[in-house]
Amino acid sequence: SGELYCSLPNPRNVHFESINMKNVLHWSAPEGTGDGVLYKVKYSVYGIGKWIRKPECRKINRTWCDLSSETADYEEQYYASVKAFLNGMCSDWMETTRFNPLTDTKIDPPTVNVSSTEKSISIILTAPEKWKRSPGGESVSLLQVYPGLQYNVSVLNKKTKKRWFFSISNNTLVVPWLEPGTSYCVSAQIHVTTPLLRSGFSKEYCIATLKDKTA
Amino acid sequence: TGVTEIRSGFNAIKANIQARDPIRTLSILSHPHSLHKVKSSDKCCIIHKLFNFYMDKVFKHCQTEDSYVNRKISSIANSFLSIKRKLEQCHKQNKCLCGQESTEKFKQILVNYEGLNITSAAIKSLGELDILLDWMEKSH
Repeated sequence: SGELYCSLPNPRNVHFESINMKNVLHWSAPEGTGDGVLYKVKYSVYGIGKWIRKPECRKINRTWCDLSSETADYEEQYYASVKAFLNGMCSDWMETTRFNPLTDTKIDPPTVNVSSTEKSISIILTAPEKWKRSPGGESVSLLQVYPGLQYNVSVLNKKTKKRWFFSISNNTLVVPWLEPGTSYCVSAQIHVTTPLLRSGFSKEYCIATLKDKTA
Repeated sequence: TGVTEIRSGFNAIKANIQARDPIRTLSILSHPHSLHKVKSSDKCCIIHKLFNFYMDKVFKHCQTEDSYVNRKISSIANSFLSIKRKLEQCHKQNKCLCGQESTEKFKQILVNYEGLNITSAAIKSLGELDILLDWMEKSH
């Protein structure tokens, strides 16, 4: 059907929110429109430019649309656009800025596994996986996407409140010369130097070193 | 490093520069043939050619009315210049040879560039700096 009379206010703040390359388009409803607004979404690959409709996000009343599948190739860059409809009227198409999945995604903290002996703790870190189309799909660690990925690790002695920081490239760390029978808390963060990306710190994982048998 | 400085300089003006480029159907670096399809043996040559390309055909044509953006562009250009000098040494020591494929690849980039008027082509090329940096860092 032909385009309707387009005098509806436009959707606002159309942008991608991306975590571990799960790329979801978000927007705010047009000002002053209340309930009943429906939307449709399209996207394009930069350099090709042909707009492609997203059928699953046609005539939707929510203000987000998951475009992870359509933007999974992180060697490409993308635009997306949203149009609103209400009572036979429509808005203009409102576009995102150019979206680069590689540099514009946010990264979750690593998972942290800790074990201890009498005088040391061992820490194993695992980078999050890139978003994948289905649970059974191939797992790609963000380590493969960002070869320069590093970990910042914080170790806190709960008794003395003394804290150490380590920056490591591989995913294991052994902290030696600790006090037996003492609780230590570990937290870790991912740091990619270029493009510059940094996750938050993980929650703290606490573990006690074994008691000194000879004491 | 120089690349990190370029990256942070570019991030500061990326939205501004890309907003000045309304052409979605054409890319200088990524279509029809993506940089990401270049063989690693050709990489040094293409980086060398692209650094010359940006110095000779891009930065000098990217004057804007915004002094902040202009300052960022010139600092990016300076970082390019220092990396370019290092690449020159590789080139002189024959460690950066250009095969037929890389010459073809670079010719395609020039065709894309010449498909637009100089200012539009320069702004589009500048707006694609992250494509160049992403590719350079992918497997350096």
